[in-house]
Amino acid sequence: MRKSRSDRTPSRSPSVRGDEISPHGIWSGTISFSLVAIPVQLVKAVETGRVSFRMLHSEDYSPLARKMFCPSGEKIVTPEETIRGYEIEPDKYIEITEEELESVSPERSRTIEIVEFIDMKEVDSIYYDHPYYLVPLKGGEKSYRLLVEVMQRTNKAGLAKFVLGEREYFVAVKSRDGALALFTLHYSKEILPHEDILPKEEKVEAEHKSRMKKSIKKMMADFNPEKYADERREKIMELIKKKTKEKAPVEAPEVEVEEGESPADLVAALEKSMRKVKKNR
Amino acid sequence: MSRKIVEISGKRLALSNLEKDLYPSYGFTKAHILEYYRRIAQFILPHLRDRALTLKRYPEGVEKEPFFEKRCPSHRPPWVKTAEIRLDDGEPMTMCLVDDLETLMWVANLASLELHVPLAKAASRETPDSVVFDLDPGDGANIIDCARVALILRDLFSQLRLSSYVKTSGKKGLHLYVPLNRKETTFEDTKTFAKAVAEIMQKNYPELVTARMAKKQRETKVFIDWSQNDSAKTMICVYSLRGGEKPVVSFPLAWEELEESVGQNDPEKLQVMYSEAVSKAEKNGDLFQDVIVKKQKLPHL
Amino acid sequence: MAGRAMWKGYIHFGDTSVPVKLHTAIKEERIQFHLLHKRDHVRLRQQMVCAYEKKPTPTEAQVKAFEVEEGKYIIVDPEELEQAAPESSRTIEVHEFVEIDQIDPIFFDRAYYLEPDASSREYNALVGALKEMEVEAVCTWTMRKRSYLGALQASGKILRLNTLRYADEVIPVKVLELQEVHKIPLSEKELKIGCDLVNQLAAPFQPEKFEDEHQKELRHLIEKKARGEKVVVARPKRLKPTTSDKLLEALEASLKKVA
Repeated sequence: MRKSRSDRTPSRSPSVRGDEISPHGIWSGTISFSLVAIPVQLVKAVETGRVSFRMLHSEDYSPLARKMFCPSGEKIVTPEETIRGYEIEPDKYIEITEEELESVSPERSRTIEIVEFIDMKEVDSIYYDHPYYLVPLKGGEKSYRLLVEVMQRTNKAGLAKFVLGEREYFVAVKSRDGALALFTLHYSKEILPHEDILPKEEKVEAEHKSRMKKSIKKMMADFNPEKYADERREKIMELIKKKTKEKAPVEAPEVEVEEGESPADLVAALEKSMRKVKKNR
Repeated sequence: MSRKIVEISGKRLALSNLEKDLYPSYGFTKAHILEYYRRIAQFILPHLRDRALTLKRYPEGVEKEPFFEKRCPSHRPPWVKTAEIRLDDGEPMTMCLVDDLETLMWVANLASLELHVPLAKAASRETPDSVVFDLDPGDGANIIDCARVALILRDLFSQLRLSSYVKTSGKKGLHLYVPLNRKETTFEDTKTFAKAVAEIMQKNYPELVTARMAKKQRETKVFIDWSQNDSAKTMICVYSLRGGEKPVVSFPLAWEELEESVGQNDPEKLQVMYSEAVSKAEKNGDLFQDVIVKKQKLPHL
Repeated sequence: MAGRAMWKGYIHFGDTSVPVKLHTAIKEERIQFHLLHKRDHVRLRQQMVCAYEKKPTPTEAQVKAFEVEEGKYIIVDPEELEQAAPESSRTIEVHEFVEIDQIDPIFFDRAYYLEPDASSREYNALVGALKEMEVEAVCTWTMRKRSYLGALQASGKILRLNTLRYADEVIPVKVLELQEVHKIPLSEKELKIGCDLVNQLAAPFQPEKFEDEHQKELRHLIEKKARGEKVVVARPKRLKPTTSDKLLEALEASLKKVA
């Protein structure tokens, strides 16, 4: 049963919440290599550490929601009343439907086809964009496990392209702790040239460099990301903690949520009793 | 700042700021509050027992901002019982359990005028012990309208062979409880039941009742808030003081008292002050006793 | 072109201090769509709406709040947030050096180029040292009121700074609950053919080979529709999953196909 508050997911943890990605799976389809096809679901692998704030109405502390409006009207335009348009000239749009988007590359909109396997070490970190996980769907568990295992053993990652919504993604799929991780990569076209910022060819004195190497050596360590925390996020959480102690939180008024029908038997019993009550009064 | 060390059942407790006027327009001090809770203790303690307490503290009195405290203050004496409550986000939180007079005195000394408890015990957080109907008058409606709704609900429940009990909220409304005290009950059951009841009431008494939360819909009507039947929610405990202008108590009423006040159209009768609360309870006993012991089953769920 | 510098500072460790300017390294181009009203094709605007009134709430009536428990909020003023911003500094502080390839790629966020500011001497020495030792530096800095964690790397003749995600932002694999999957037995034969297949399909990483064809085709579609031509909608196909009893068969057939 749904909670009787407004249409949102409550922030589950006081620290962080992800942004645009739903925890339930962003996409589902098939990942294939050669003739093996594995049904999978794409889920997020990172949760942005942004402190998640909510906008409230200053008058009564009702939560605010983003809604679409007609520039002329005062009425909310529901998602069913909206279409996706491409502006071909000022204020003139071409409608593009969901089906048309998918049909642009039908073979790649439901399948992540691995076309080749590469050594992940060859991928320059500049290419990395956003990580996800793939989880197997029913029937695909064994071939999923096989792909995880062989990529682990060969130390290789699969390259593929697939279409999600308005974009086609260039991706690398590799095994990570027994799961398939999918990394969206930047296209090489998206990587800016840097010829204009090259350093001047100044001679490096050998002694200078070796001194630098010595101090680097002293500072060698194993990469341990746990050591570093987002200072800003910590400060904001401290601020909120402090404010919580000082002052009671404001309370949002309850907002009606339409819920499903009550059980028919119960309603019938109540109606019958209600008739008797009314007769007796 | 005055400080007084008292000993209750061999436990030492420091009471502070006793002369602090917490209801300034009424001249009701911290000492009065401690005295009220001491005298009402035998009645309120069974209703607080085993339930994770939410404190609503008024350190600067009822005219200043209070604050809710769910976490049991870390500066608590070692003998205060606590429960580890796992919240939705999975983080455990230590909350106070008020099982004895000394803990009640300690809590009152924190200027926690209001004591809020969930419908379930700390050890069985998903099992509500009763269904509750929070009757809240909208603008233009009053507690007599709530009493009318409560009486219809009582009749409706008696048709379903369910006993119900009513108390004042200590503010503007009434709280009606249907005891269940069965470990099979879930909040989903109680919420489904309460919502169906609220809707059927709205359908049959559209001028008097609304089951909708929106402010506009509540005008001149009694809002039956069924959504309180939730593990995350708390209700003001019966016999607790309220942080209003005067030291009013959330107090149980006999159905006859309710009928009488509707007959006389006297909303004042449904405001029980602390002094009256103590003498009435001592005379009549705990009218809410059945709420925590009577076993009943909801129909068709 | 790397374009205008977005930030200036110093890389610092030991007695080394390298003045640098930061440039963005990535530029994404996408086809931009707009949301329109179905009825009259008017472009819609997004507005904040109060849950009660169902009406747009003007900016001055909006407050920022943090939800401490369901339906209960602590209001936070913009000035308070301002104070929570990390102290601004011009230092990219190096905390340690790690061997290249030690950083799990899941941490890599966004890449920036560093340009030497003023003299190139220290800069070139650092590029040389990092390359010869095959290491990168883990560092932190403050930029635009946010604190960043990053990896400082040498690439060709230049230094790059790649922002890293914080450890608590990465969702561990155990959340996926794949324990049951890991228990599924695989035969040595299946594994062997699988590995052979991967090796058969192995290639060097050549990102230039991959282009966003979808965008191109999408532009064609838009042009077609703009000319008033009819567009045929094709349904995307889903492949039949390879079930566990057919896995070996599919692997063998695949190997035959690529060999």
